[in-house]
Amino acid sequence: MTDFLSTYLERVSEFAPRMIESLGETGIMLSFAMIAAILLGLPVGTLLFLTTPGRPMSNRIFNSMLNIIVNIIRSFPFLLLVVAMQPVIRQIYGRATGDSVAASFPMIVIAIALYARFVEQSLLGVPKGIIETAQSMGATTWQLIWKFMYVEARSSLVIGFTTAVISFVSYSTIMGVVGGGGIGDFAIRYGYQRYETDIMYTAIILIIILVEIFQRLGLKLAKSIDKR
Amino acid sequence: MIQFQNVSKKFSGLDGPVSALDQVSLTIEDHELFGVIGESGAGKSTLLRFINALESPDSGSVIVDDRTVNQLSKKALRQHQKEIGMVFQQFNLLSNKTVQQNTALPLNLHRYEHPLSVDQVLEFVGLSDKKNQYPAQLSGGQKQRVGIARALISRPKLLLCDEPTSALDQNTTEEIVDVLKKAHQEFGMTIVIVTHELGVIKELCDRAAIMENGKVVNMVEVKRSSTARNVKPYRERAMEVLSHD
Repeated sequence: MTDFLSTYLERVSEFAPRMIESLGETGIMLSFAMIAAILLGLPVGTLLFLTTPGRPMSNRIFNSMLNIIVNIIRSFPFLLLVVAMQPVIRQIYGRATGDSVAASFPMIVIAIALYARFVEQSLLGVPKGIIETAQSMGATTWQLIWKFMYVEARSSLVIGFTTAVISFVSYSTIMGVVGGGGIGDFAIRYGYQRYETDIMYTAIILIIILVEIFQRLGLKLAKSIDKR
Repeated sequence: MIQFQNVSKKFSGLDGPVSALDQVSLTIEDHELFGVIGESGAGKSTLLRFINALESPDSGSVIVDDRTVNQLSKKALRQHQKEIGMVFQQFNLLSNKTVQQNTALPLNLHRYEHPLSVDQVLEFVGLSDKKNQYPAQLSGGQKQRVGIARALISRPKLLLCDEPTSALDQNTTEEIVDVLKKAHQEFGMTIVIVTHELGVIKELCDRAAIMENGKVVNMVEVKRSSTARNVKPYRERAMEVLSHD
Protein backbone atom coordinates (compact mmCIF):
# COMPACT_ATOMS: atom_id res chain seq x y z
CA MET A 1 0.00 0.00 0.00
CA THR A 2 2.70 2.45 1.04
CA ASP A 3 4.65 1.29 -1.98
CA PHE A 4 1.78 2.01 -4.29
CA LEU A 5 1.20 5.39 -2.69
CA SER A 6 4.80 6.47 -2.94
CA THR A 7 5.11 5.44 -6.61
CA TYR A 8 1.87 7.23 -7.34
CA LEU A 9 2.99 10.42 -5.62
CA GLU A 10 6.28 10.22 -7.43
CA ARG A 11 4.51 9.96 -10.75
CA VAL A 12 2.13 12.79 -9.92
CA SER A 13 4.99 15.05 -8.97
CA GLU A 14 6.70 14.09 -12.19
CA PHE A 15 3.64 15.16 -14.17
CA ALA A 16 2.71 18.05 -11.90
CA PRO A 17 4.39 20.87 -13.85
CA ARG A 18 2.62 19.81 -17.05
CA MET A 19 -0.65 19.40 -15.18
CA ILE A 20 -0.44 22.85 -13.66
CA GLU A 21 0.33 24.33 -17.05
CA SER A 22 -2.78 22.57 -18.42
CA LEU A 23 -4.90 23.98 -15.64
CA GLY A 24 -3.60 27.42 -16.60
CA GLU A 25 -4.69 26.85 -20.20
CA THR A 26 -8.13 25.75 -19.03
CA GLY A 27 -8.20 28.91 -16.93
CA ILE A 28 -7.53 31.09 -19.98
CA MET A 29 -10.28 29.45 -22.02
CA LEU A 30 -12.77 29.59 -19.15
CA SER A 31 -11.98 33.24 -18.41
CA PHE A 32 -12.61 34.28 -22.00
CA ALA A 33 -15.86 32.31 -22.04
CA MET A 34 -17.05 33.72 -18.71
CA ILE A 35 -16.26 37.31 -19.64
CA ALA A 36 -18.02 36.88 -23.00
CA ALA A 37 -21.05 35.33 -21.30
CA ILE A 38 -21.42 38.34 -19.01
CA LEU A 39 -20.49 41.14 -21.39
CA LEU A 40 -22.31 39.78 -24.46
CA GLY A 41 -24.47 36.82 -23.45
CA LEU A 42 -26.36 38.90 -20.89
CA PRO A 43 -27.32 41.68 -23.34
CA VAL A 44 -28.13 39.20 -26.13
CA GLY A 45 -30.39 37.21 -23.79
CA THR A 46 -32.02 40.43 -22.61
CA LEU A 47 -32.66 41.44 -26.23
CA LEU A 48 -34.14 38.01 -26.95
CA PHE A 49 -36.55 38.68 -24.11
CA LEU A 50 -37.35 42.32 -24.88
CA THR A 51 -37.88 42.00 -28.63
CA THR A 52 -40.40 39.15 -28.40
CA PRO A 53 -43.75 40.41 -29.75
CA GLY A 54 -45.84 41.90 -26.97
CA ARG A 55 -42.82 43.00 -24.93
CA PRO A 56 -41.41 46.51 -24.51
CA MET A 57 -39.06 46.43 -27.55
CA SER A 58 -41.24 44.13 -29.64
CA ASN A 59 -39.62 43.52 -33.05
CA ARG A 60 -40.63 40.31 -34.78
CA ILE A 61 -37.94 40.27 -37.49
CA PHE A 62 -35.02 41.12 -35.21
CA ASN A 63 -36.25 38.61 -32.65
CA SER A 64 -36.54 35.73 -35.11
CA MET A 65 -33.11 36.49 -36.57
CA LEU A 66 -31.50 36.52 -33.15
CA ASN A 67 -33.29 33.30 -32.24
CA ILE A 68 -32.12 31.58 -35.39
CA ILE A 69 -28.50 32.62 -34.87
CA VAL A 70 -28.51 31.43 -31.26
CA ASN A 71 -30.12 28.14 -32.27
CA ILE A 72 -27.64 27.53 -35.09
CA ILE A 73 -24.67 28.04 -32.78
CA ARG A 74 -26.17 25.82 -30.13
CA SER A 75 -27.07 23.01 -32.52
CA PHE A 76 -23.59 22.78 -34.07
CA PRO A 77 -21.69 19.77 -32.75
CA PHE A 78 -19.07 21.74 -30.83
CA LEU A 79 -16.11 20.04 -32.47
CA LEU A 80 -17.42 21.07 -35.89
CA LEU A 81 -18.01 24.63 -34.69
CA VAL A 82 -14.35 24.73 -33.71
CA VAL A 83 -13.34 23.51 -37.16
CA ALA A 84 -15.78 25.77 -38.98
CA MET A 85 -14.43 28.81 -37.16
CA GLN A 86 -10.81 28.21 -38.13
CA PRO A 87 -10.70 30.65 -41.09
CA VAL A 88 -12.35 33.40 -39.05
CA ILE A 89 -9.95 32.94 -36.16
CA ARG A 90 -7.00 33.03 -38.55
CA GLN A 91 -8.28 36.33 -39.96
CA ILE A 92 -8.71 37.94 -36.55
CA TYR A 93 -5.90 36.46 -34.48
CA GLY A 94 -3.33 35.51 -37.09
CA ARG A 95 -3.31 31.84 -36.19
CA ALA A 96 -6.09 29.40 -35.53
CA THR A 97 -4.28 26.61 -33.71
CA GLY A 98 -1.61 26.02 -31.16
CA ASP A 99 -2.51 28.17 -28.19
CA SER A 100 -5.30 28.67 -25.69
CA VAL A 101 -6.14 32.16 -26.91
CA ALA A 102 -6.88 30.91 -30.42
CA ALA A 103 -8.90 28.10 -28.85
CA SER A 104 -10.90 30.62 -26.85
CA PHE A 105 -12.70 32.02 -29.91
CA PRO A 106 -15.13 29.09 -30.29
CA MET A 107 -15.53 29.10 -26.51
CA ILE A 108 -16.58 32.75 -26.66
CA VAL A 109 -19.13 32.07 -29.37
CA ILE A 110 -20.76 29.14 -27.60
CA ALA A 111 -20.62 31.00 -24.28
CA ILE A 112 -22.62 33.92 -25.66
CA ALA A 113 -25.26 31.71 -27.27
CA LEU A 114 -25.60 29.41 -24.28
CA TYR A 115 -25.79 32.08 -21.60
CA ALA A 116 -28.13 34.22 -23.72
CA ARG A 117 -30.69 31.41 -23.53
CA PHE A 118 -30.26 31.07 -19.78
CA VAL A 119 -30.72 34.81 -19.39
CA GLU A 120 -33.88 34.76 -21.48
CA GLN A 121 -35.26 31.94 -19.33
CA SER A 122 -34.41 33.77 -16.13
CA LEU A 123 -36.22 36.89 -17.32
CA LEU A 124 -39.22 34.81 -18.34
CA GLY A 125 -39.38 33.63 -14.74
CA VAL A 126 -40.05 37.15 -13.43
CA PRO A 127 -43.79 37.67 -12.79
CA LYS A 128 -45.50 39.61 -15.60
CA GLY A 129 -46.89 42.12 -13.13
CA ILE A 130 -43.38 43.47 -12.58
CA ILE A 131 -43.11 44.75 -16.16
CA GLU A 132 -46.53 46.31 -15.86
CA THR A 133 -45.56 47.95 -12.58
CA ALA A 134 -42.42 49.45 -14.12
CA GLN A 135 -44.47 50.78 -17.02
CA SER A 136 -47.10 52.23 -14.70
CA MET A 137 -44.31 54.22 -13.03
CA GLY A 138 -43.14 55.55 -16.38
CA ALA A 139 -39.84 53.63 -16.30
CA THR A 140 -37.69 53.60 -19.44
CA THR A 141 -36.74 50.24 -20.92
CA TRP A 142 -33.26 50.68 -19.45
CA GLN A 143 -34.72 51.27 -15.98
CA LEU A 144 -37.09 48.34 -16.45
CA ILE A 145 -34.13 46.05 -17.08
CA TRP A 146 -31.73 47.32 -14.43
CA LYS A 147 -34.06 48.36 -11.64
CA PHE A 148 -36.73 45.70 -12.00
CA MET A 149 -35.90 42.65 -14.16
CA TYR A 150 -32.29 42.03 -13.13
CA VAL A 151 -33.17 42.67 -9.49
CA GLU A 152 -35.91 40.06 -9.51
CA ALA A 153 -34.04 37.57 -11.73
CA ARG A 154 -30.65 37.90 -10.06
CA SER A 155 -30.42 34.56 -8.28
CA SER A 156 -31.71 32.74 -11.34
CA LEU A 157 -29.13 34.62 -13.46
CA VAL A 158 -26.39 33.39 -11.14
CA ILE A 159 -27.63 29.78 -11.24
CA GLY A 160 -27.80 29.95 -15.06
CA PHE A 161 -24.27 31.32 -15.13
CA THR A 162 -23.06 28.48 -12.91
CA THR A 163 -24.62 25.88 -15.19
CA ALA A 164 -23.13 27.64 -18.22
CA VAL A 165 -19.63 27.72 -16.70
CA ILE A 166 -19.79 23.99 -16.01
CA SER A 167 -20.68 23.44 -19.67
CA PHE A 168 -17.70 25.64 -20.59
CA VAL A 169 -15.44 23.29 -18.60
CA SER A 170 -16.79 20.41 -20.64
CA TYR A 171 -16.41 22.28 -23.94
CA SER A 172 -12.84 23.25 -23.05
CA THR A 173 -11.78 19.62 -22.70
CA ILE A 174 -11.92 19.00 -26.44
CA MET A 175 -9.87 22.05 -27.44
CA GLY A 176 -6.81 19.81 -27.72
CA VAL A 177 -7.83 19.11 -31.31
CA VAL A 178 -6.66 22.59 -32.29
CA GLY A 179 -3.76 22.61 -29.87
CA GLY A 180 -5.56 24.65 -27.27
CA GLY A 181 -4.38 22.48 -24.42
CA GLY A 182 -6.14 22.44 -21.10
CA ILE A 183 -6.62 19.83 -18.40
CA GLY A 184 -8.99 17.75 -20.56
CA ASP A 185 -6.44 17.59 -23.34
CA PHE A 186 -3.84 16.61 -20.76
CA ALA A 187 -6.01 13.70 -19.58
CA ILE A 188 -6.47 12.49 -23.15
CA ARG A 189 -2.88 12.87 -24.33
CA TYR A 190 -0.90 11.73 -21.30
CA GLY A 191 -3.42 9.50 -19.62
CA TYR A 192 -5.44 7.89 -22.38
CA GLN A 193 -3.16 7.83 -25.39
CA ARG A 194 -0.01 6.94 -23.43
CA TYR A 195 -1.77 4.45 -21.15
CA GLU A 196 -0.87 6.38 -17.99
CA THR A 197 -4.20 5.43 -16.43
CA ASP A 198 -3.37 6.78 -12.97
CA ILE A 199 -2.48 10.16 -14.45
CA MET A 200 -5.67 10.16 -16.53
CA TYR A 201 -7.81 9.61 -13.44
CA THR A 202 -5.89 12.21 -11.52
CA ALA A 203 -6.69 14.74 -14.24
CA ILE A 204 -10.34 13.69 -14.30
CA ILE A 205 -10.57 14.10 -10.53
CA LEU A 206 -9.13 17.60 -10.90
CA ILE A 207 -11.88 18.39 -13.41
CA ILE A 208 -14.51 17.02 -11.04
CA ILE A 209 -13.14 19.16 -8.23
CA LEU A 210 -13.21 22.20 -10.51
CA VAL A 211 -16.87 21.58 -11.42
CA GLU A 212 -17.75 20.97 -7.79
CA ILE A 213 -16.18 24.28 -6.75
CA PHE A 214 -18.09 26.22 -9.42
CA GLN A 215 -21.36 24.54 -8.52
CA ARG A 216 -21.04 25.19 -4.80
CA LEU A 217 -19.90 28.78 -5.17
CA GLY A 218 -22.71 29.47 -7.63
CA LEU A 219 -25.44 28.00 -5.47
CA LYS A 220 -24.13 29.70 -2.37
CA LEU A 221 -24.08 33.09 -4.06
CA ALA A 222 -27.53 32.53 -5.63
CA LYS A 223 -28.98 31.63 -2.26
CA SER A 224 -27.48 34.56 -0.46
CA ILE A 225 -28.98 37.11 -2.88
CA ASP A 226 -32.41 35.47 -3.06
CA LYS A 227 -34.94 37.14 -0.77
CA ARG A 228 -38.05 35.69 -2.36
CA MET B 1 -60.51 65.47 -14.89
CA ILE B 2 -60.59 62.16 -16.72
CA GLN B 3 -62.79 61.76 -19.77
CA PHE B 4 -63.51 58.65 -21.77
CA GLN B 5 -65.03 59.42 -25.14
CA ASN B 6 -66.54 56.52 -27.10
CA VAL B 7 -63.73 54.21 -26.08
CA SER B 8 -63.71 50.72 -27.57
CA LYS B 9 -61.30 47.83 -27.43
CA LYS B 10 -61.39 44.31 -28.78
CA PHE B 11 -59.19 41.38 -27.77
CA SER B 12 -58.64 38.36 -29.95
CA GLY B 13 -60.35 35.42 -28.33
CA LEU B 14 -60.76 31.78 -29.33
CA ASP B 15 -63.86 32.44 -31.44
CA GLY B 16 -62.72 35.66 -33.08
CA PRO B 17 -62.44 39.12 -31.52
CA VAL B 18 -64.14 39.70 -28.18
CA SER B 19 -65.29 43.18 -27.25
CA ALA B 20 -63.64 44.15 -23.98
CA LEU B 21 -65.04 47.66 -24.05
CA ASP B 22 -67.81 48.95 -26.24
CA GLN B 23 -68.33 52.68 -26.80
CA VAL B 24 -67.72 53.75 -23.24
CA SER B 25 -68.07 57.43 -22.36
CA LEU B 26 -67.78 58.82 -18.86
CA THR B 27 -66.20 61.62 -16.88
CA ILE B 28 -64.40 61.46 -13.53
CA GLU B 29 -63.99 64.78 -11.70
CA ASP B 30 -60.90 65.95 -9.84
CA HIS B 31 -60.64 64.79 -6.23
CA GLU B 32 -63.41 62.30 -6.78
CA LEU B 33 -63.43 58.83 -5.24
CA PHE B 34 -64.71 56.91 -8.20
CA GLY B 35 -65.52 53.21 -8.33
CA VAL B 36 -65.86 50.87 -11.28
CA ILE B 37 -67.66 47.67 -10.46
CA GLY B 38 -68.67 44.60 -12.43
CA GLU B 39 -68.16 40.89 -12.77
CA SER B 40 -64.93 39.35 -14.05
CA GLY B 41 -64.49 40.05 -17.72
CA ALA B 42 -66.78 43.09 -17.71
CA GLY B 43 -63.90 45.25 -18.93
CA LYS B 44 -63.30 47.28 -15.80
CA SER B 45 -59.57 46.62 -15.50
CA THR B 46 -59.09 47.47 -19.16
CA LEU B 47 -60.90 50.75 -18.60
CA LEU B 48 -58.60 51.58 -15.69
CA ARG B 49 -55.48 50.72 -17.69
CA PHE B 50 -56.41 53.20 -20.40
CA ILE B 51 -55.88 56.02 -17.92
CA ASN B 52 -52.15 55.34 -17.55
CA ALA B 53 -51.76 53.73 -20.97
CA LEU B 54 -50.93 50.21 -19.81
CA GLU B 55 -53.48 49.42 -22.52
CA SER B 56 -54.59 51.56 -25.39
CA PRO B 57 -58.03 51.74 -26.97
CA ASP B 58 -58.77 50.70 -30.57
CA SER B 59 -60.96 53.76 -31.01
CA GLY B 60 -62.16 56.75 -29.04
CA SER B 61 -60.05 58.88 -26.77
CA VAL B 62 -59.01 59.00 -23.14
CA ILE B 63 -58.33 62.52 -21.92
CA VAL B 64 -56.63 63.26 -18.61
CA ASP B 65 -56.26 66.95 -17.73
CA ASP B 66 -56.55 68.01 -21.39
CA ARG B 67 -53.98 65.47 -22.54
CA THR B 68 -55.18 62.77 -24.90
CA VAL B 69 -53.42 59.79 -23.37
CA ASN B 70 -53.61 57.54 -26.41
CA GLN B 71 -51.87 60.13 -28.58
CA LEU B 72 -48.91 61.00 -26.38
CA SER B 73 -45.33 60.46 -27.54
CA LYS B 74 -43.29 57.91 -25.61
CA LYS B 75 -41.53 60.58 -23.62
CA ALA B 76 -44.69 62.54 -22.84
CA LEU B 77 -46.33 59.28 -21.88
CA ARG B 78 -43.66 58.50 -19.29
CA GLN B 79 -44.12 62.00 -17.93
CA HIS B 80 -47.85 61.33 -17.69
CA GLN B 81 -47.32 57.96 -15.99
CA LYS B 82 -44.88 59.51 -13.55
CA GLU B 83 -47.71 61.57 -12.08
CA ILE B 84 -50.04 58.63 -11.52
CA GLY B 85 -49.83 56.13 -8.69
CA MET B 86 -51.09 52.59 -9.14
CA VAL B 87 -51.98 49.83 -6.72
CA PHE B 88 -52.28 46.24 -7.99
CA GLN B 89 -54.22 43.18 -6.96
CA GLN B 90 -51.06 41.08 -6.64
CA PHE B 91 -49.14 43.97 -5.02
CA ASN B 92 -46.28 43.59 -7.54
CA LEU B 93 -43.53 44.34 -5.05
CA LEU B 94 -39.91 43.51 -5.83
CA SER B 95 -39.21 40.52 -3.64
CA ASN B 96 -35.47 41.17 -3.59
CA LYS B 97 -35.87 44.68 -2.20
CA THR B 98 -36.76 45.69 1.34
CA VAL B 99 -39.95 47.52 2.23
CA GLN B 100 -37.97 50.75 2.31
CA GLN B 101 -36.38 50.17 -1.10
CA ASN B 102 -39.69 49.14 -2.65
CA THR B 103 -41.37 52.25 -1.35
CA ALA B 104 -38.61 54.49 -2.69
CA LEU B 105 -38.67 52.96 -6.21
CA PRO B 106 -40.53 55.79 -7.98
CA LEU B 107 -38.02 58.30 -6.60
CA ASN B 108 -35.23 56.25 -8.19
CA LEU B 109 -36.83 56.57 -11.60
CA HIS B 110 -37.74 60.24 -11.74
CA ARG B 111 -37.13 63.55 -10.06
CA TYR B 112 -40.22 64.68 -8.18
CA GLU B 113 -40.86 68.23 -6.98
CA HIS B 114 -42.36 67.51 -3.57
CA PRO B 115 -42.19 63.83 -2.79
CA LEU B 116 -42.87 62.45 0.65
CA SER B 117 -40.00 60.84 2.47
CA VAL B 118 -39.88 57.08 2.87
CA ASP B 119 -40.25 57.47 6.64
CA GLN B 120 -43.28 59.73 6.29
CA VAL B 121 -45.10 57.47 3.90
CA LEU B 122 -44.32 54.27 5.83
CA GLU B 123 -45.51 55.99 8.99
CA PHE B 124 -48.69 56.92 7.12
CA VAL B 125 -49.49 53.32 6.16
CA GLY B 126 -48.35 52.06 9.56
CA LEU B 127 -45.29 50.08 8.54
CA SER B 128 -42.46 52.06 10.11
CA ASP B 129 -41.29 49.01 12.00
CA LYS B 130 -41.10 46.84 8.85
CA LYS B 131 -38.75 49.13 6.95
CA ASN B 132 -35.90 46.65 6.58
CA GLN B 133 -37.96 43.54 5.98
CA TYR B 134 -38.45 41.81 2.66
CA PRO B 135 -41.93 41.27 1.16
CA ALA B 136 -41.73 37.51 1.84
CA GLN B 137 -41.74 38.33 5.56
CA LEU B 138 -45.00 40.33 5.35
CA SER B 139 -48.67 39.38 5.41
CA GLY B 140 -50.93 40.11 2.43
CA GLY B 141 -52.34 43.24 4.02
CA GLN B 142 -48.88 44.54 4.86
CA LYS B 143 -47.69 43.90 1.31
CA GLN B 144 -50.60 45.90 -0.04
CA ARG B 145 -49.80 48.73 2.35
CA VAL B 146 -46.29 48.78 0.93
CA GLY B 147 -47.91 48.91 -2.53
CA ILE B 148 -49.95 51.91 -1.40
CA ALA B 149 -46.93 53.58 0.20
CA ARG B 150 -45.03 53.17 -3.07
CA ALA B 151 -47.92 54.75 -4.96
CA LEU B 152 -48.24 57.65 -2.50
CA ILE B 153 -44.59 58.61 -2.13
CA SER B 154 -44.62 60.81 -5.21
CA ARG B 155 -47.83 62.59 -4.08
CA PRO B 156 -49.72 61.65 -7.23
CA LYS B 157 -52.67 63.71 -8.45
CA LEU B 158 -54.31 60.48 -9.43
CA LEU B 159 -54.33 57.06 -7.77
CA LEU B 160 -55.48 54.00 -9.70
CA CYS B 161 -56.41 50.88 -7.75
CA ASP B 162 -56.89 47.62 -9.61
CA GLU B 163 -58.73 45.13 -7.37
CA PRO B 164 -56.61 46.27 -4.42
CA THR B 165 -58.35 44.01 -1.91
CA SER B 166 -59.25 40.98 -4.00
CA ALA B 167 -56.29 38.92 -2.83
CA LEU B 168 -57.06 39.68 0.82
CA ASP B 169 -59.45 38.40 3.47
CA GLN B 170 -62.29 40.56 4.71
CA ASN B 171 -60.72 42.12 7.77
CA THR B 172 -57.59 42.96 5.84
CA THR B 173 -59.79 44.42 3.12
CA GLU B 174 -61.24 46.85 5.64
CA GLU B 175 -57.75 47.76 6.79
CA ILE B 176 -56.80 48.61 3.20
CA VAL B 177 -60.03 50.53 2.61
CA ASP B 178 -59.24 52.62 5.68
CA VAL B 179 -55.75 53.41 4.44
CA LEU B 180 -57.11 54.49 1.06
CA LYS B 181 -59.78 56.62 2.71
CA LYS B 182 -57.18 58.26 4.92
CA ALA B 183 -54.95 58.89 1.90
CA HIS B 184 -57.81 60.65 0.17
CA GLN B 185 -58.50 62.84 3.19
CA GLU B 186 -54.85 63.71 3.62
CA PHE B 187 -53.76 64.26 0.02
CA GLY B 188 -57.04 64.84 -1.80
CA MET B 189 -56.05 63.11 -5.03
CA THR B 190 -58.51 61.60 -7.47
CA ILE B 191 -58.91 57.90 -6.78
CA VAL B 192 -60.28 55.46 -9.33
CA ILE B 193 -60.85 52.02 -7.91
CA VAL B 194 -61.81 48.91 -9.84
CA THR B 195 -63.24 46.00 -7.88
CA HIS B 196 -65.92 43.34 -7.89
CA GLU B 197 -66.41 43.76 -4.15
CA LEU B 198 -69.51 45.85 -3.48
CA GLY B 199 -68.54 46.50 0.12
CA VAL B 200 -65.35 48.27 -0.91
CA ILE B 201 -67.23 50.67 -3.21
CA LYS B 202 -69.90 51.25 -0.58
CA GLU B 203 -67.28 52.18 2.04
CA LEU B 204 -65.06 54.25 -0.15
CA CYS B 205 -66.63 55.80 -3.22
CA ASP B 206 -68.75 58.86 -4.00
CA ARG B 207 -69.84 57.59 -7.35
CA ALA B 208 -69.54 54.34 -9.26
CA ALA B 209 -70.00 52.96 -12.75
CA ILE B 210 -71.50 49.51 -13.05
CA MET B 211 -70.13 47.61 -16.01
CA GLU B 212 -71.48 44.65 -17.90
CA ASN B 213 -70.05 43.08 -21.06
CA GLY B 214 -67.84 46.05 -21.88
CA LYS B 215 -70.52 48.66 -21.34
CA VAL B 216 -71.31 51.05 -18.53
CA VAL B 217 -74.87 50.06 -17.69
CA ASN B 218 -75.44 52.30 -14.67
CA MET B 219 -73.89 55.28 -12.97
CA VAL B 220 -74.75 55.56 -9.29
CA GLU B 221 -74.23 58.07 -6.49
CA VAL B 222 -73.07 55.87 -3.65
CA LYS B 223 -74.94 56.23 -0.37
CA ARG B 224 -72.30 55.65 2.26
CA SER B 225 -73.37 53.59 5.20
CA SER B 226 -73.87 56.12 8.00
CA THR B 227 -73.43 53.79 10.95
CA ALA B 228 -69.87 52.97 11.78
CA ARG B 229 -69.26 49.46 10.55
CA ASN B 230 -68.60 46.94 13.16
CA VAL B 231 -65.42 45.05 12.59
CA LYS B 232 -65.58 41.56 13.96
CA PRO B 233 -62.65 39.24 14.18
CA TYR B 234 -62.44 36.63 11.44
CA ARG B 235 -63.27 33.81 13.83
CA GLU B 236 -66.54 35.44 14.92
CA ARG B 237 -67.53 36.18 11.37
CA ALA B 238 -66.77 32.62 10.30
CA MET B 239 -68.89 31.28 13.15
CA GLU B 240 -71.72 33.62 12.19
CA VAL B 241 -71.74 32.62 8.54
CA LEU B 242 -71.12 28.93 8.99
CA SER B 243 -73.33 28.13 11.97
CA HIS B 244 -76.50 30.02 10.94
CA ASP B 245 -78.79 28.95 8.12
